[in-house]
Amino acid sequence: MKKRTIVKISAALVALGLSATALAGCTAGVSGDSGAPTKITMLVLGDKPTNGRLEAMLKKLNERLKKQANATLDLFYVEWADWQTQYNVQLLSGDSRVDLITTATDWLFGWENAQKGAFLPLTEDMLKQNAPKTWAQVQKDGHWGLTKFDGKIQFIPEDNYTQYTNHGFFYRGDWAKEAGFPDGTITKYEDFTTYFQWIKQNKPDAVPWDVAGASNGEATLTGYMQSHTDALPLQGVSAGNYAPFETSQENPGKLTSWYMESDQLVKAAQLAKQWNDLGVWRQDAVNYTGVTRDEFYAGQSGTDQHHTQTFIGQIYNNMNTKQPGSDPKMYAFGQENKNLYKDILTHGAMAVSANSKNPDKALQVYDLIRNDKQDYDLLNFGIEGTDYVMKDGKLGYPEGYDPSKDALGSNFWAGRMDQYEPPKVTDDPAAKQIYGDLDKVARDYPYSTLVVNKSAIDPELAAMGSVLSEYIPQLEFGKFDDPAAAIKEMRQKLKDAGYDDVKASVQKDLDSWAKTHKVK
Amino acid sequence: MHSSETATGATRAIVLPTRKRGLFERERTRPIKLDASDRWLRGISYTTITLFTLFCLLPFVLIVSASLSSESAIRKTGFGLLPKDFSLTAYEFIFQSPRQILGAYVVTVVMTTLGTAIGLFIISMTGFALYRQDFPYRNAISFFIYFTTLFSAGLAPTFLWVGKTLGLRGSYLAVFLQLLITPWLIILMKNFMRTIPYEIVESGKIDGAGDFRIFWQLTLPMMKPALATVGLFLALAYWNEWYLSSLYLGSTVEFKPLQYYLYNVINTANALQNSVAGANVSISDLPSNTLKMASAVVATGPILLLYPFIQKYFVSGITVGAVKG
Amino acid sequence: MSQTQVPQRRTPRWSRFKSSRVLLLMCLPAIAFFLVFNYAPLPGIWIAFTDFNYRDGIFGSPFIGLRNFEFLIKSGQLWLLTRNTILYNVAFIVLGNALQIAIAIMFNEIRLKYFKKITQGIMFLPYFISVVLIGVIAFNILNYDNGALNALITQAGGDPLKIYSMAGLWPLIIIVVQLWQSTGYGSIVYFAAIMGIDKGLFEAAAIDGASAWQRIRFVILPSLKPTFIILLLFSLGGIMHGNFGLFWNLVGNNAQLFQTTDVIETSVYRMVMSQNNFTTSTAVGLYQSLFGFAIVMTANWIVRRMNKDYALF
Repeated sequence: MKKRTIVKISAALVALGLSATALAGCTAGVSGDSGAPTKITMLVLGDKPTNGRLEAMLKKLNERLKKQANATLDLFYVEWADWQTQYNVQLLSGDSRVDLITTATDWLFGWENAQKGAFLPLTEDMLKQNAPKTWAQVQKDGHWGLTKFDGKIQFIPEDNYTQYTNHGFFYRGDWAKEAGFPDGTITKYEDFTTYFQWIKQNKPDAVPWDVAGASNGEATLTGYMQSHTDALPLQGVSAGNYAPFETSQENPGKLTSWYMESDQLVKAAQLAKQWNDLGVWRQDAVNYTGVTRDEFYAGQSGTDQHHTQTFIGQIYNNMNTKQPGSDPKMYAFGQENKNLYKDILTHGAMAVSANSKNPDKALQVYDLIRNDKQDYDLLNFGIEGTDYVMKDGKLGYPEGYDPSKDALGSNFWAGRMDQYEPPKVTDDPAAKQIYGDLDKVARDYPYSTLVVNKSAIDPELAAMGSVLSEYIPQLEFGKFDDPAAAIKEMRQKLKDAGYDDVKASVQKDLDSWAKTHKVK
Repeated sequence: MHSSETATGATRAIVLPTRKRGLFERERTRPIKLDASDRWLRGISYTTITLFTLFCLLPFVLIVSASLSSESAIRKTGFGLLPKDFSLTAYEFIFQSPRQILGAYVVTVVMTTLGTAIGLFIISMTGFALYRQDFPYRNAISFFIYFTTLFSAGLAPTFLWVGKTLGLRGSYLAVFLQLLITPWLIILMKNFMRTIPYEIVESGKIDGAGDFRIFWQLTLPMMKPALATVGLFLALAYWNEWYLSSLYLGSTVEFKPLQYYLYNVINTANALQNSVAGANVSISDLPSNTLKMASAVVATGPILLLYPFIQKYFVSGITVGAVKG
Repeated sequence: MSQTQVPQRRTPRWSRFKSSRVLLLMCLPAIAFFLVFNYAPLPGIWIAFTDFNYRDGIFGSPFIGLRNFEFLIKSGQLWLLTRNTILYNVAFIVLGNALQIAIAIMFNEIRLKYFKKITQGIMFLPYFISVVLIGVIAFNILNYDNGALNALITQAGGDPLKIYSMAGLWPLIIIVVQLWQSTGYGSIVYFAAIMGIDKGLFEAAAIDGASAWQRIRFVILPSLKPTFIILLLFSLGGIMHGNFGLFWNLVGNNAQLFQTTDVIETSVYRMVMSQNNFTTSTAVGLYQSLFGFAIVMTANWIVRRMNKDYALF
């Protein structure tokens, strides 16, 4: 009996001792370098791929990450069909499901979410210790100031990636040539009337500019404004789906709104009416839900509208394959009057979730996928040989690869680096030149750090949004018989909705921001 | 309970001799003479029903023929009753990665069958209790249940509670549990129970049966149309549901319920074209119209086969005569 | 029951509880369900009165009173939206139920077994078709450039109509689409109710020499009355809620139609579309609930006065 008790006690002690050392071992590594690899999840936007390539790539990537940082990466997708609700619901849920969150200050509510406390403020020490390469590079370029709110860094900018997302028209050089434009190049906004007219008369199977839905038709107004004024829109304030406030290059401290105050709006609306009467788009374009880009590729539409990156990455290649000889070109809004802007450096940004359990590890993983070439290649392009091949320094695809079925879909838009982005076989070979031309003309967008106090004006903004959504779709498609009268009506309603109060409030925010920031 | 007026305005329950088969009475066509008005009614009924059915069918035909057409033909000339430029591309695309659709099917079928069975049980049980006039709390509980239809907390509060506090986000339970019972179905069940003569309950009590036994053995078998209706509604609700899935599941699960999977396919283009994302992100290879239609056919088709199976329960289940006899 | 001196009875409350133990137990799952999923989240409605942020949660965020409701009033649209929402719902309820009852009655007349099975099965189809697709189909039929409807009109020699610009037509279109989608599904309730009518009554009516119409009027319709009233009371609770999916996918951003088709949900959606705002939607939901609550309480009180049995509670 006694012996057994002794054995029991000693066994217990041994067990205790072992677990104590194990526990000690667990807490030994400050960054948890011992023990099981930490799983880091990154929130990205897009449809979850189902062809198995992502999983294969992650397997390889995680082998490396395990060795480099004792961590693994997984992706959490916010899918397009319902993206606004799902993105916000994920933040609302406050769960620790995601560690890294893709955000943007111009369209993904970057500042709002930072203000609401969805992101973990990143201290200098955290960044220096866990993401040293990123810290150093952004610091060298002096860009941390772009991401600070309340004096704290809220996210990491994608500031080393050249992209131009300035909007414009894509059109067919071959048809432009036949319409009488020298060399098939259109250089003035109003010239598009001639182009559209020509298509209407000579290509009965094509719609001159097929548009689907009100959001896609806004260019008739905003494009016109950009090409005829020096207005500088404030991205951070929106009423419904519209950005109502601008300053001008001439007078960057003074807030104005061309919806409310500019004569050019009337001219733009009148041109839109002219285009509508001409039959430039479908009669019921506002309700049309077809995929107009595919129509452009099929020769059923003469024009498409989006930004430079789309042109370089998709339009050029697709048009030349599907419509050989169509000589696709782009007319950028603001190219005539030099009213275009470089992309803000927080058009893509990576934040750490306020509820993440492993923020340090998350930053370490981010540092790797951003700066380690092999990790970068795996995440962005996939496994060499199966997902891509390198041909003469250009990124191409293996035989039989079909982008609609075989795409990797990792959608990493928050830390791309120019030095790791090879030119693609499908890119417009003139890409560098296009960037060069744009660089000569484009200005820096100054307001990316302007955070407007919304709570003071939210109801009025919503009311303004309601008024705008009542008039703008019709104005942009030229549906009013008398655009000038409609605009007058709209302006009165905007006034009733509280425009003046909103303007005063935003002007105040602009003034206090201008004290510490210079507009070039 | 039964105070229906007969044609002569007098209340009576004439019992024609029936063959006794316990409490069940099969629907039989009796040789009742049809007068002119009956023939008229019958004629109108057949015509209207035929027209109505065609009316219901028409858009579905458009969808099916669009799914079998080629995208370029559809773009040029819109939809038609017959496929234009017959092509199976859309279906090929769907079935090339059948894993997703099959998984969606399995998830949905399991949820539907389990949910309908359990939900039906709870609903009929509750409906029975509320129908019992000797149940002193029936009004209070009815109001308690009904009140939930008047005030709903809304998206954010409910999500915070169910998804965050109860921790059900990412679990199929978040969807499964919330569809199990609706106030509307309980009240409906209670209403259907009115057609059961109260004498049955009383005779059961006299025989000394407990409440649950009365429910299970006496009343339930008499309620075939009610059970079929409520069961059908429950099944359809589970099959059709996508909203809760989008809120609580999103992409956290590998297999989405069927309608949510479908919604993802058909709404991607809309969502991009109508939101700021479209201006900022360049997406290629959006689902074409034909793909959307084909997905709809694949997701909807099978449930249509459900109704014929339960149609046989929609028969008259009771007669007063049988009880009195 | 007056409190006369009835001796040696235990407290009625306790004996009531004791005798209805089992029934109470049978209600328990449902009660628990509603407590957990419907009543428990209610305090969260507080979010509508706050300037919500993730850090502080619902009850920690700053209180701002009725500010979140202001935009409804400032937009100047509140009356229009309320009117549209209610009118559409009234039309849906009245026409919908009438049509469902008619269809159910007619189905009752069908004797051919397979015809009945097939048609009843088909009539569920519209319920399953996603509103997104309905919008696409509606566009395909109604649009000016290549819509089927205009094709028919031009063939018949007329001028094509710009339907998407004609606000006056849209109440009709929307109601037709809604009826198309829900009639088959809704008629089942009435059909089951008809199935539950005591066959003896029909035979009595036949013996009395009732015509078909009289049979409908005196046997069927009265039996359906309780079901109709219950459905009505239920629908009234939701009278301030628009069917967002239907309106959004049919009308979208087409401002030319807003005068006659804008309902609360679609308008709110457009207003706050690019904002990141849960407080607004909760505020609007609260407004809708309060309104519907008032209407239902009134209606139920009225019904109760007429016939105690039919009231919901």
